[in-house]
Amino acid sequence: MSELIIQGVSRTFPGVRGGKPVQALQPTDLEIAKNDFVTVLGPSGCGKSTLLRIIAGLDQPTTGKVMLEGTEIKGPGADRGMVFQSYTLFPWLTVRENVAFGLRERGLPASSSKEIVGSYIDKVGLRGFEDHWPKQLSGGMQQRTAIARALANDPKILLLDEPFGALDNQTRGLMQELLLGIWEREQKTVIFVTHDIEEAVFMASRVVTMTARPGRIKSVTPVDIPHPRHYTVKASPEFSRLRLKLTEEIRSEAILAASS
Amino acid sequence: MRPLQPISPQARVLLGILFFVLFFAGWSLATFGGFVSPTFLADPITMVKDGIYLLTEQGFLRDIGMTVWRVVGGFVLAAVVAVPVGVAMGAYKPVEALLEPFVSFSRYLPASAFIPLLILWAGIGEMQKLLVIFIGSVFQIILMVAVSVAATRRDLVEAAYTLGARDRGIVRRVLIPANAPDIAETLRLVLGWAWTYVIVAELIGASSGIGYMIINSQALMATGQIIFGIIVIGIIGLISDFAFKTANRHLFAWRLA
Repeated sequence: MSELIIQGVSRTFPGVRGGKPVQALQPTDLEIAKNDFVTVLGPSGCGKSTLLRIIAGLDQPTTGKVMLEGTEIKGPGADRGMVFQSYTLFPWLTVRENVAFGLRERGLPASSSKEIVGSYIDKVGLRGFEDHWPKQLSGGMQQRTAIARALANDPKILLLDEPFGALDNQTRGLMQELLLGIWEREQKTVIFVTHDIEEAVFMASRVVTMTARPGRIKSVTPVDIPHPRHYTVKASPEFSRLRLKLTEEIRSEAILAASS
Repeated sequence: MRPLQPISPQARVLLGILFFVLFFAGWSLATFGGFVSPTFLADPITMVKDGIYLLTEQGFLRDIGMTVWRVVGGFVLAAVVAVPVGVAMGAYKPVEALLEPFVSFSRYLPASAFIPLLILWAGIGEMQKLLVIFIGSVFQIILMVAVSVAATRRDLVEAAYTLGARDRGIVRRVLIPANAPDIAETLRLVLGWAWTYVIVAELIGASSGIGYMIINSQALMATGQIIFGIIVIGIIGLISDFAFKTANRHLFAWRLA
């Protein structure tokens, strides 16, 4: 039984200043099962972020609908946590207060939220930084806090929009392991948008590739590498095979995207 | 000296003081050197003597107190009205569409031009002084607060939505705290302007206050007193500015962290 059903979802942005309307996303169908880890891979501008924003309820589809556990998504809500590419921690709140934001909004008393917040701060390895402001943290630490903030709300689905895109390569690798480790332990439905092929393969149960704009789903590739995955699987033959396959699929789209 | 190169804190303080010294030196040269007639410009020493006379014999401290009270009173009234209206305008587009044209128009109405009208309506009592400052400040604050609230980072608002915040939570827990430092900065700026309005109001119809003393001194050709009054205003402005900045640094430490 699919937890999330995307039915014929498309998005056309109205033309700016009398320009032509731009179709960012062609009608798209996708079903995602509970506790699935799906990565959405595509060249820039292929509409993958648009699709994610529609699932989050931050954007409305032009056609089609998204159903979460049988209910149509009408707007943003706490059942879909999101981590953005840009650093979106609230700069006036400390790490602890940021992670507690959703719980406080729900009206949870401070005493019961304290424990939840503490446990998620531990999970992302930020113990000792609870009282720091976002400005005092590195980019990787800020994104770890953002992940903890989204998870502390215990959403049904975690949506991530190129969350590690602005990080350096080493930090990005560590963040992937951290997120994957949390997913392996806790089980959660995750949709992770990225343009990094290695990242997509390493974390996913399924990799969804998208075509150049206007985007549509090009292929769905299962990743049958067993869990728990150690970073060394990146050197395995199976990993290389998947990477090559996806590289070829994405390459032709990237060429299209670059020439249009 | 190279563009944007920082200097040491000591050098900063010394240079700041240096200009005051230069200013007084120039003033002394003009007056003691006999280049300007004492009728039009008192020399620094006369100014200090006049100041002491005002403070000890004329009860000038009471005038200062009155003026400070008026500025603070009118300004607080304006802020209490303007900040919520500005936040509402910045947050809700229909409110903005409703009020923005009128507020933009009113902002250009000079507060001093209202003084004759306000004297008709409210007499020459305290209410009239407060109203002058209120009119001079309220529209400026509304507009500046509205602009900063409207420019709140969209991704922070979206993040709050995905964390389950409702519209009221967005205003209370994102728009207001995100813009609190800008709002405080707006208040600091407008408080400076409020000082101009109060003096003008006191020049025209008042029986106490720094402006009243200044206009009285003009009748007596006591330029030393006038200059002393102006300098007192400057010093009070400097103190309130410093207090505001210190408070902001404290309240909004997250910005500087």
